Amino acid sequence: MNSSMEKRQASDTSEFQENLEILRRIDFFSALSLQALKVFAYLFTREIYKPGDYLFHQNDNDGNAFYILSGTAEVVRKDERGEFCLGKYGEGEFLGGLALLGDMRRLFFLKAVTDMTCLVMSREKFAKAIEQFPDLMPRVLGTMVDRIRSWEERLFIDQDGLCDTCKKKVGVSLI
Amino acid sequence: MRKTETPVVKRSLPSWIRSSNLKLQALLLLIILIAVFARVLPLEMQKRIINEAIRLGEIQLLFLYCGLYLAAVVTATGLKYLISVLQNLIGERALADMRKALYHHILTLPLNFFRKTQPGLVVASLVTELASSGNFVGMAIGVPVASILTLFAFAGYLIWLNPLLAGITLSIYPMILILLPRLQNQANKANKRRVDTTRTLSGKIGEAISGIHEIHGNGSYRIENSRYDKMIDKLYKIRIVWNLYKFSVKSVNNFFNNLSPFLVFIVGGYLAIKGRLDLGALVAFISAQEKIYDPWKELIAFYQVYQDASVRYKRTMEYFDELPEHALEPDDREPYELEGSIEVRDLSFLAEGGIKLLDGINLSLKPGEQLALVGFSGSGKSTLAQCVGQLYKYTGGHVLLGGEEVADLSKKDVIYNIGFVSQTPFTFEGTIKDNIIYSCAAKLDSDEIGESDAMPSLDDMIEALQQTGIFVDVLRFGLNTILVYDEHQDLASKIVRVRDRFKREFVEELADYVEFFDEDNFLYYSNIAANLIFGSPNVESFSLQNLAVNDYFLRFLDKADLTRPLLTHGAELCRQTVDILGDLPPEKVFFEQSPIRADELNEYKMLATRLARTRLHHLSPEDRTDLLRLALCFIPGIHKMAGMPSILEELILEGRALFREDISRDDPGALTFYQASEYIYSQTILDNIFFGKTKTVNPQAEEKIDQSIIQVLIEEDLLETIVEIGMEFQVGSKGDRLSGGQRQKLAIARVFLKAPRVLIMDEATSALDNKSQARIQSLLDTRWKGQSTLIAVVHRLDIIKSYDKIAVMKAGRIGEMGTYDDLIAKEGMLYELIYGKKASI
Repeated sequence: MNSSMEKRQASDTSEFQENLEILRRIDFFSALSLQALKVFAYLFTREIYKPGDYLFHQNDNDGNAFYILSGTAEVVRKDERGEFCLGKYGEGEFLGGLALLGDMRRLFFLKAVTDMTCLVMSREKFAKAIEQFPDLMPRVLGTMVDRIRSWEERLFIDQDGLCDTCKKKVGVSLI
Repeated sequence: MRKTETPVVKRSLPSWIRSSNLKLQALLLLIILIAVFARVLPLEMQKRIINEAIRLGEIQLLFLYCGLYLAAVVTATGLKYLISVLQNLIGERALADMRKALYHHILTLPLNFFRKTQPGLVVASLVTELASSGNFVGMAIGVPVASILTLFAFAGYLIWLNPLLAGITLSIYPMILILLPRLQNQANKANKRRVDTTRTLSGKIGEAISGIHEIHGNGSYRIENSRYDKMIDKLYKIRIVWNLYKFSVKSVNNFFNNLSPFLVFIVGGYLAIKGRLDLGALVAFISAQEKIYDPWKELIAFYQVYQDASVRYKRTMEYFDELPEHALEPDDREPYELEGSIEVRDLSFLAEGGIKLLDGINLSLKPGEQLALVGFSGSGKSTLAQCVGQLYKYTGGHVLLGGEEVADLSKKDVIYNIGFVSQTPFTFEGTIKDNIIYSCAAKLDSDEIGESDAMPSLDDMIEALQQTGIFVDVLRFGLNTILVYDEHQDLASKIVRVRDRFKREFVEELADYVEFFDEDNFLYYSNIAANLIFGSPNVESFSLQNLAVNDYFLRFLDKADLTRPLLTHGAELCRQTVDILGDLPPEKVFFEQSPIRADELNEYKMLATRLARTRLHHLSPEDRTDLLRLALCFIPGIHKMAGMPSILEELILEGRALFREDISRDDPGALTFYQASEYIYSQTILDNIFFGKTKTVNPQAEEKIDQSIIQVLIEEDLLETIVEIGMEFQVGSKGDRLSGGQRQKLAIARVFLKAPRVLIMDEATSALDNKSQARIQSLLDTRWKGQSTLIAVVHRLDIIKSYDKIAVMKAGRIGEMGTYDDLIAKEGMLYELIYGKKASI
């Protein structure tokens, strides 16, 4: 992986251009104007993680969002009852948009399973940047609301997988 | 001694004259008297030159009188200068004293006062409004005495010359004396309004600046602008009126003064024609009459300064005329060393408007006990902590600290016994070290570090850094320092040893995070310039800023076929960066990854517009230099707005070899090449240990790097040295070069270092990450428990289990109090706070 990274560094297209292309595909950012998108593409940094590295810790308020360029990460929750793996995320997925918008004490760990490369954005950078485009905030919130709604809608579409107690607790979109 | 003095806000303006240097004032008076004489002399000479020397044709006399005339003029000028010097000295001294006294007074005013007072206002009062008062004190004795004496001297001289003409001349002054005070009165009224409006205005500006985030956030520029504009318009009108009255004072004065020659011409001319007055006498009279205007003018100017100064002075002092709530120092005893018990009885705190922020609070803590205050925001938990810490003066009930009523203690008693960490701790400009010893220095009353043996030692400080978890941050500051050749040669050679050890032990492990300096490879995390010269400059002309204008280097770039590709690359960087950052404010976040610094952005913006219109080879030489400089600053691994063309990379590697050959032949002393056995003075300590550059800002990787660095530093016994260097890190104004968490940790370290009997922590760990919060909590549980009594306002409920007592507050009252287990078993308010929240989501 290292060698592939080195190769990319000496290329005629810039990382900025690549980031810009990627951001246009993430629906969290899709509502932004091109000028805003450029600033965000510029502010995203690339980070590498090795198997076993944590992208964030349970209970931390790190405020980072991640776009996975390559590799896989798993969601792990630890409590009095033990340690549970709750799912996996892989290439092309964007995680943590909500953490950009406000304090988000993590409910679980995100841990790299394989070598990973991610685009990372911090809440501080996001806040500074969105400050420059105040009219975009409503649109970002709109996208977020829409995402939460469709997330729960999908839950009902494959309802069969839901246990009975789980059914009683649905209603994220009612917050 | 200080206690018997009247507080500065009660002092009258004339009292400053009495307290000014009276010896200087007397000297000033003496000089002025001589100056008066030196001013009258030329008039007499003038008359004698015409009447005696010219009329009698006595060349000798002419020379004598002219010589005396000249001597008098020179003396008068010299004395005038001396007078200004003395006045200036006295005035500025008084101004400095006033500023100091007022500032010292303002700092002791109760916190409540500052709730309604904007910083801008305090600044304006201290800086601008008092200036005229100092001016006044400088003039206060000399000017009026001198002017009146001169006035009388001239008047006497005039009467001696011609009583009739003198009578006519002097008759105008009573008229002026009637008119002027009326006009001045109006000017004073306008001036008062001006002072008030300026005060509101500076408050408004202060508010806008400190709330700038909110303004940007809401895009409320227009609202703020219109508020400000209205005030400016008001000020504009007041100032116009004020100035008009001031000018009219001057005009009236001028008018009457110009009227008197007219009278003299008429009467004197008539007398001269009739032969009852000789011409020399008339000339002398007319010039003497002109001179009488000078002291009069000065007297009027002094009158205006006095009026202006007293208005401003009064207004300023009135505003700050409040008394501190507590004495600063105990009157007749040493500060108490109290035991850490706290007893609160029926405590209440009324805010303005009769709102009960605290109501009937009762609690008691034995020395060493720990109390957590919890509850929703607005429940009064911070207010309670602040009342115990004497930051607010409670309005009813008692707080007893070691048996003493807190309200009656002096500030010094309080700081000897209580350590307070506030919700938003303040970091002051200076070094980390200055900030850590701040509380100790305040306690010991010394403003210089190292003045007293009782100050904390380096070991104490390092321990406090470790306890609060800011040690690694400070180590980082130290590692990021660039050493200076002249001062640190010894340390530099030790670091080269650390480098060897690091290489043996960690190179493999950290290879992914560090890019090592390697002569045969392109360095993505070093700039192009470093890639080319591959060394650190020993002479100024080869520094990064100067390379683009260094003729030798420019010739080399031509020879290596690099000029054109670098210019093209610079142009690309310029275009892209300006496109992305063009309209953004100069904040660190935006410019961290940019080869263009915030202060250079405008220049490059204009350059980008020119680039859009012209070809590279048509650009001016200055523009080409700027582009070249930009390209040389480019760090491919960090500045991601442009790619690194592979062809350029190869050319640079070729160029590096060529440059090394050339410079070793032509000017071998100019550079020290990067080599594993030499310290590189242009790089930071960390980069020197690596012999390379770090590639990442990923916290996990940084942690691994930190661990290995700490290990090698311990092995080489350099850890403390580097931390000591890190403690010299300048934190910036308000600590803006630190993160919120770092500022909070510093504030806690500051208080831990003081080790007070009573610790009050008002949400002191709210900005910290989980780990640091847990670390400090466990420290409180182990090291401080039983040592210091602790009152902690706590926002997070998962850290309160170990407290001896927990008080749940609601609407200014304690709802329930007890141990964690008891309260949970009771299923009351605490239970609801913890579990109720869960159920609602």
